[in-house]
Amino acid sequence: MATETNPETGKLEFFLDVPFPSSREATIALRSLSPDREPRRGGISKQLSVSGSTLSVRWSADEARILRVSVNSFLDHLSLVVETMEDFGPPVDL
Amino acid sequence: MTVVIGFEGSANKIGVGIISDGEVLSNPRRTYITPPGFMPSDTARHHRAVILTVLKEALEQAGLKPADIDCVAYTKGPGMGAPLVTVAIVARTVAQLWGKPLLGVNHCIGHIEMGRLITKSNNPTVLYVSGGNTQVIAYLERRYRIFGETIDIAVGNCLDRFARVIKISNDPSPGYNIEQMAKKGTRYVELPYTVKGMDVSFSGILSFIEETVFAMLVETTERAMAHCGSQEVLIVGGVGCNQRLQEMMGVMCKERGAKLFATDERFCIDNGAMIAQAGWEMFRTGRVTELEDSWITQRYRTDEVEVTWRD
Repeated sequence: MATETNPETGKLEFFLDVPFPSSREATIALRSLSPDREPRRGGISKQLSVSGSTLSVRWSADEARILRVSVNSFLDHLSLVVETMEDFGPPVDL
Repeated sequence: MTVVIGFEGSANKIGVGIISDGEVLSNPRRTYITPPGFMPSDTARHHRAVILTVLKEALEQAGLKPADIDCVAYTKGPGMGAPLVTVAIVARTVAQLWGKPLLGVNHCIGHIEMGRLITKSNNPTVLYVSGGNTQVIAYLERRYRIFGETIDIAVGNCLDRFARVIKISNDPSPGYNIEQMAKKGTRYVELPYTVKGMDVSFSGILSFIEETVFAMLVETTERAMAHCGSQEVLIVGGVGCNQRLQEMMGVMCKERGAKLFATDERFCIDNGAMIAQAGWEMFRTGRVTELEDSWITQRYRTDEVEVTWRD
């Protein structure tokens, strides 16, 4: 997992793929982690998506420092989702 | 029977409460106390460390399983960003794990609905006073109208900063310790008293005494009562615990033949059950929050919410 500079946009990009036990759980994580806006309005954006049972996150940032803050914060939140799932899962049958 | 679980963590208290048709089944809470004051990221870290434990306590103390819950309510705002997100994330996750609808609640309305439930007041003029908020509120036609508010800092913030200046302990809260010291006071010092119509200002009088700030709040509450023809006052918010404030408000109410309502520290200080109660009211009128719309917000005015559960 390394950061790359996009030659077209000049922005720093970082991709993260997180495997989950099932597609349902990956989607739960996506819907828990996507609603809130980045605290910092400019200089950073991220996209979350689910494919199969993998949650994928793509960041695009102007500066390394801004990227680092956002990624760290995301990882904290992700670990909270995972811990919540461990303590209160598995998801009920719908 | 409708059972709602509420998650609150917009400032330094993290609470999870469960309400079933007006009965508080559980309401555990933890407070993050740190000198000299609490910062958003440290507070979020504190909440993160304890929230799942508090959630388990709430379920255990209520004697319920997740299947017994009908709705998951959480604080949408206002408040500090990082702590709000931490709590919202857990609420969204359990709502999905348990297959229950989600409800974003306005923190101030949580205080109001808890106050109405506990005191059984009918249609009171509300004084909402805490570390983060100071508002005089009256209900009219489906909105909690903000009649008056602080034009700068909240009265609780003023008290907290004063406590910091004179180096009073933060444990259990700065305001509580100021109150205990003030009980032994004998001299009244006249300080700038700033009321502008319906509004108040506290930033100019950081070297204040309770008498002055509380008198300002009693005046603006009385003005709102006069405008609305109201015969009830309800005090909510952490500063509402203060006996002197209740005493002074009581004197004004007695003079007007009005009734004063207040709750004890379990419910006037931020707690999870108040979010559950406001959520219960909203849920009964068919309101839910879709996950995509469940973002938190640091600014969320009390009058932005359509109060569909009152006439």
